[in-house]
Amino acid sequence: MAKTNNSAENDRKIKLKTLPHAKDLKWPMLWWFTMGSIYHALPWKKTAWTCAAFPIELMWIYDIFPDHPENMATVAAARKQSQRLIEHAEGMGYSRDLCSYCKTSIAAYDTKIKKTLGGISKPDIVVCTNAICDTHWKWFQIMADKMNVPFFMFDIPKWVSGTDEKTLQGNIDYVVEQFYDLIVFIEKHTGKKMDEKRLYKVLDKSTELSDLWREIFEHRKAVPSPYSGAETSASFFPLVVLPGVQVGINFFKKILADIKNLTAKGEGTMPKDKEKYRVMWEGIPFWYRMRFMYDLAQYGAVITFEPYTYSFAPEKKKCNTMEETLRDVAKLIMDTPYAYNLERRIEHFEKWIDEYKIDGVILHENMSCRPSSAGMVDLAEAIMRDKGIPVLILQCDMNDPRAYSEGQIKTRVEGFIELMEANKGK
Amino acid sequence: MKIIKAQKLAYFDTSHEMPLEIIMAAGFTPYKILGDVHQSNDPADKHLSNFFCGAAKSWLTEALARSKEWAGIIFAQGCNNTNRHYDIWKVHVQTPFLHWFGAPLLDSDAAKKYYRVELQRLISHLENQFNIKITPEKIREAIIKSNEIKKKLQRLSALRAQKDIPNRDYLAAMIKCLTNPVDEVSAWLDSEIAAWNSKPSFPSGKKQFLLTGSDITYVEWMDTLEDCGIRIVRDDLSVGERFFATLIPDKSDPLDALIEYYMNIPKPATRPTIQKRLDYLYKALGETKVDGVLSQNVKFCEPFAYDSVPVNNALKDKGYKVIHLERDFSPAADQQLANRLMAFVEMMEVGNNG
Repeated sequence: MAKTNNSAENDRKIKLKTLPHAKDLKWPMLWWFTMGSIYHALPWKKTAWTCAAFPIELMWIYDIFPDHPENMATVAAARKQSQRLIEHAEGMGYSRDLCSYCKTSIAAYDTKIKKTLGGISKPDIVVCTNAICDTHWKWFQIMADKMNVPFFMFDIPKWVSGTDEKTLQGNIDYVVEQFYDLIVFIEKHTGKKMDEKRLYKVLDKSTELSDLWREIFEHRKAVPSPYSGAETSASFFPLVVLPGVQVGINFFKKILADIKNLTAKGEGTMPKDKEKYRVMWEGIPFWYRMRFMYDLAQYGAVITFEPYTYSFAPEKKKCNTMEETLRDVAKLIMDTPYAYNLERRIEHFEKWIDEYKIDGVILHENMSCRPSSAGMVDLAEAIMRDKGIPVLILQCDMNDPRAYSEGQIKTRVEGFIELMEANKGK
Repeated sequence: MKIIKAQKLAYFDTSHEMPLEIIMAAGFTPYKILGDVHQSNDPADKHLSNFFCGAAKSWLTEALARSKEWAGIIFAQGCNNTNRHYDIWKVHVQTPFLHWFGAPLLDSDAAKKYYRVELQRLISHLENQFNIKITPEKIREAIIKSNEIKKKLQRLSALRAQKDIPNRDYLAAMIKCLTNPVDEVSAWLDSEIAAWNSKPSFPSGKKQFLLTGSDITYVEWMDTLEDCGIRIVRDDLSVGERFFATLIPDKSDPLDALIEYYMNIPKPATRPTIQKRLDYLYKALGETKVDGVLSQNVKFCEPFAYDSVPVNNALKDKGYKVIHLERDFSPAADQQLANRLMAFVEMMEVGNNG
């Protein structure tokens, strides 16, 4: 009986259409996992741990495999492993209030779980930045010390509200100088040398990958929306670890073609005439509960834009010299939308709300990411005041399922939907 | 804008990154914002969520109430969220002068160069705002005064292990030095050193501890430790030894002196590396024989929470008796924490602390 009811309920459910080539994400993932195994197995190949906002391209330029603890932490969450790993890390002494990616990763290494469940191997070097948060360097340094692996940290100056151009140029100078320190570090600890030809080849491919993602986002402005945040949250994977590599480009080209095909027919990811609310999602998704984004469809809501995945595809300049290239990359590291200061965040959010015809904004106040969560109250107030649309602040966590309260979140989302509905009637 | 004599110029500093000597050379009294644990954080709660550090909220509450008394506010890059707090303060705190000082996290040659750029930017901003000239001579004078305070604090601090000095007296002295005019503080320290010297010897019933972790900014927590039979005789806090552990070197260019000093003071958890932080702890523990180490963390203070695991493990591996605990930013006595501390001290007495 229950089964029959569930089946009937499922028939009534509004399902997001996935793009025909969405399943092809498996190829870049498979390529990356295979390369990881090869680079770890062959003694003359080198591997590194890297983090978000680190110029991954440099690793590919040096033919170093970029392993990515954050990425593996999301894999652990998606495979329902993160809670037990987080609890294991807390058993090692790490506070409940610390980043759930970090704790997932520390425990994944400590328990030596399989790669397919989010495991990660010891690298040859550990490199990171503090562009997004200090957690990155604290976590990476703790692990580098534990693994007895050389550690390099990029110190990225903060682009606070009101920073003037002269200060910004001084900040760029500092980052550029550190590039030269990083090059010395890499060459010393891996024995590899910079190949300038390879550098420009990798950078060209990285630019192409970014440009494709940005073009995909241009098409997301269409009504109805052809591609939801539920899908982009998975498919942006090549931008995390494969900028500079062809396999990601091939995948994005297919996705773009699918999207163009849909928009040409006036179709969207929602069934015909079901798209009622276009929502902007700010913050990292709930990796252990990706269904949340699909479930919004039941209310006629689709995530049309999210700064998080957009952050990984900055507009890259074509540069002619090494110095020019490094200055551009330095600025891009500081200029990631995920880490915008409050003034720039408000300015850009309001622009995106217009461009993507947004009806409401969900801000994930992520207990594991204080830098992203700080200022959200002001951001919400500014959007409601200037744009007259509702904003929902959801306090939760990206990787720790213990923070997710099904009933509470459902109630709050339903209230938010009602506000968007009421707002449309105005 | 005209400077009112001895007017306070406040600074937001999660550790000891703010080059106070520039503020002094500009003719102001450096005032470290420490908040008031006795005031409700309701004003700050409007802008910061419940999982942000209580100390930072208290600082915002203080600034919202008192910023008009200050000539301005300078933020020194410190922990994970300092820049985010700056953005929020820029919107909500009324002040004629708000400056971001990008103290680098590293101490490489590139970082030293950047530190100089940031020092010059701060000087230039102060000069333009207040129509003053911050000359090398004025900075040199400020360095001399700063070093005088540091030397006196070194003498005062050393008495903790020898005399009967309640925990709260040391913290109160530190807070006074960080919030009042230097000349006033210097004279007061002379009398305090004399007073502490005349106190009885270290009481036999108390255990000597080194205190490490998040900063302590209110005396009630020191009283709790006192009540548990713990005397803090060494520490590596910024409202503590990090402030006076080393002196500003004598160099022909005073900016060079500041760069060398601020990049070489014992590291807090907000600066790499953990080993450099441990080096100071080992040095302090080598100089002063203690009964135990207390590692404490203010709730939601991330840098020290990260460090606490490797740092405490390293200290335990060296044979030190270490207890770690997390406390709320609150003056209310937490009996559970007190019970744990008392149990730890009792186990020490019977020689069974694991």
